[in-house]
Amino acid sequence: MKRILLIFKYSPKLTVGVLILLFLILLAVFEPTINYYRLGGRSSTEIGLFDTFLPPSREHPFGTEAYGRDVLSLLLTGLRYSLLIGFTAGGLATLIAVFLASIAGYKGGRIEAFITTIANAILIIPSWPILAIIVLFVTKVNLLLLSVILAFFSWAGASRQIKAQIASLKERPYIDLAKVTGFSDLEIMFKEILPNFLPYIFVGFSSAVTGTIMAETAIRLVGLGPGDIPSLGQFINWAIYSGTLAQGYYLIVISPIAFLILTFVSLNLINVGLDEVFNPRLKQVTGV
Amino acid sequence: MKKSIFSYLINRILLYALIFLISLSAFFFFINLVPGDPVTRYIQMLEQRYGLSTPASEIVIQKYKEVFGLNKGLFERYTSYLSRLILHFDFGPSFVAFPKPAIELILESLPWSVGLLGTSVIIAWVLGVILGTIVGWKRESKISSTFFTIGLVISQIPTYLLAIVLVMVFTFWLNLFPMGGAYSAMLQRSFSLRFILSLIKHAFLPSLSLVFVYVFGTMISQRALVINVLGEDYIKLAEAKGLKSSRLINRYILRNTLLPQATGLALSLGFIVNGFFLIEWIFNYPGIGRLFMMAIREMDYNVLMGITITTMFCVLTANLIIEFLYPLIDPRIRRG
Repeated sequence: MKRILLIFKYSPKLTVGVLILLFLILLAVFEPTINYYRLGGRSSTEIGLFDTFLPPSREHPFGTEAYGRDVLSLLLTGLRYSLLIGFTAGGLATLIAVFLASIAGYKGGRIEAFITTIANAILIIPSWPILAIIVLFVTKVNLLLLSVILAFFSWAGASRQIKAQIASLKERPYIDLAKVTGFSDLEIMFKEILPNFLPYIFVGFSSAVTGTIMAETAIRLVGLGPGDIPSLGQFINWAIYSGTLAQGYYLIVISPIAFLILTFVSLNLINVGLDEVFNPRLKQVTGV
Repeated sequence: MKKSIFSYLINRILLYALIFLISLSAFFFFINLVPGDPVTRYIQMLEQRYGLSTPASEIVIQKYKEVFGLNKGLFERYTSYLSRLILHFDFGPSFVAFPKPAIELILESLPWSVGLLGTSVIIAWVLGVILGTIVGWKRESKISSTFFTIGLVISQIPTYLLAIVLVMVFTFWLNLFPMGGAYSAMLQRSFSLRFILSLIKHAFLPSLSLVFVYVFGTMISQRALVINVLGEDYIKLAEAKGLKSSRLINRYILRNTLLPQATGLALSLGFIVNGFFLIEWIFNYPGIGRLFMMAIREMDYNVLMGITITTMFCVLTANLIIEFLYPLIDPRIRRG
């Protein structure tokens, strides 16, 4: 516990990132309770619950939108779904990435070259049109299927992050020391590599979460995908298509965008912070 | 020495051809294995949209399937699609603009995308490299670290979200820039000053939304690379020799950071293009991204396939060109 606190003291970026992300996650987790309390048991997506385009007030801190829904409660619902899809798809992508990166690292040679080529191909090729067509053609996309599809396109980025870290980890002297001492491969894997490796898995995970939330938002923004999952991208789509901008209600469009950017920035701060803490040499050189 | 460059280039071309073929095939089989064929789906879409209750005549459907080659087996369809594509650059006819070939629609909008995207990426990359070198070189100064922190935040904003904010501020609120399109509808295409100004005015916001984010993205990676190089012994030696800073930066630092930076650009190009599809849609820019969105709405199958394959091809070619520049940047590759 003390060690964890020390880590946060060492990197303000990590602290800020974790605090923002925790705040967002808490909002998402308690969304049903908050919305139940605020809307008296009605669904946040129910059309015509209030008057349209009410200005911000005590009752509606962010006002209401074109279909008479409370903006704040829609935002919270959207955040819940965006994070849910991001964490599910990001988690799946990380699992695939760790699995393939371990195989590549363990087997080496041709298998490693093959996996790297596939990962690079997925990274290089513009995935948005492919993703859009898949979502368009596969009818009845639910949350899990959408996450699987998104994970398929984002494991490559995570695997690149993880592999770069393994490469540097392999060269550390304590691994050699463990080998000389007569540790078995499994012991080295679990006692030496894994504990040092966890932060890097998390770096891969958080960039996969960012990637999948971005992709999901992009798909929903243009009106593709499951209409019954009101994520933040869907919310922006509603706002744009209901002429909110033309009528000058900028807050309604800006707030979901702000929530998304806050999510991406907090995840990236965590990544940079973890790098600072676990790559102390980098910190010595860079001095930030 | 010449031979090794040659084999390097051939090697790269083959690798990219292989990647192209594999992704193309994977994509083709996936789309064709999804239940329901494009013609039936298209007719269903029309029925739903226009509330038609009379089912389309079987003869018409059969005729359509024949024209689109859907009555053949999967493998036969694959080989004929591939041979048509490679030998004739033909994606088949468009549904909506039938019998206009899909490739014609694509070629009409491709120059707009390539022009705007290419210019923006080059501007962003060059600015980012310059800025990153300065920020890395002066890493101890307060301004430099402020820039770094700001960059850390801005580089995380998806370009399409920034595009929405820019439209909101500059078009709807301040009314400074036009709503969309590539040039004013009142002007004829010509080489007049007015037309060119109109072009620039329309391209400014879409380009800005990309440049703004990628300048900071490139700056951050360039900064890390510069700082890495600065830790090397040869830099210390060069400094001890009393080399001028300008020479140190040009000869030692830039030269050693450009190769990984170019690799970074090559790897992120696909990602940049992804965002650009949405930017075009947001700004109604008449490029390939807008055509794609229209084809999505109309379920124009051949156009969708065509755009995906064309984009894939363009991005892979751009990557290949970047890799062909490597030997110019790094003499080690020249020597093999």
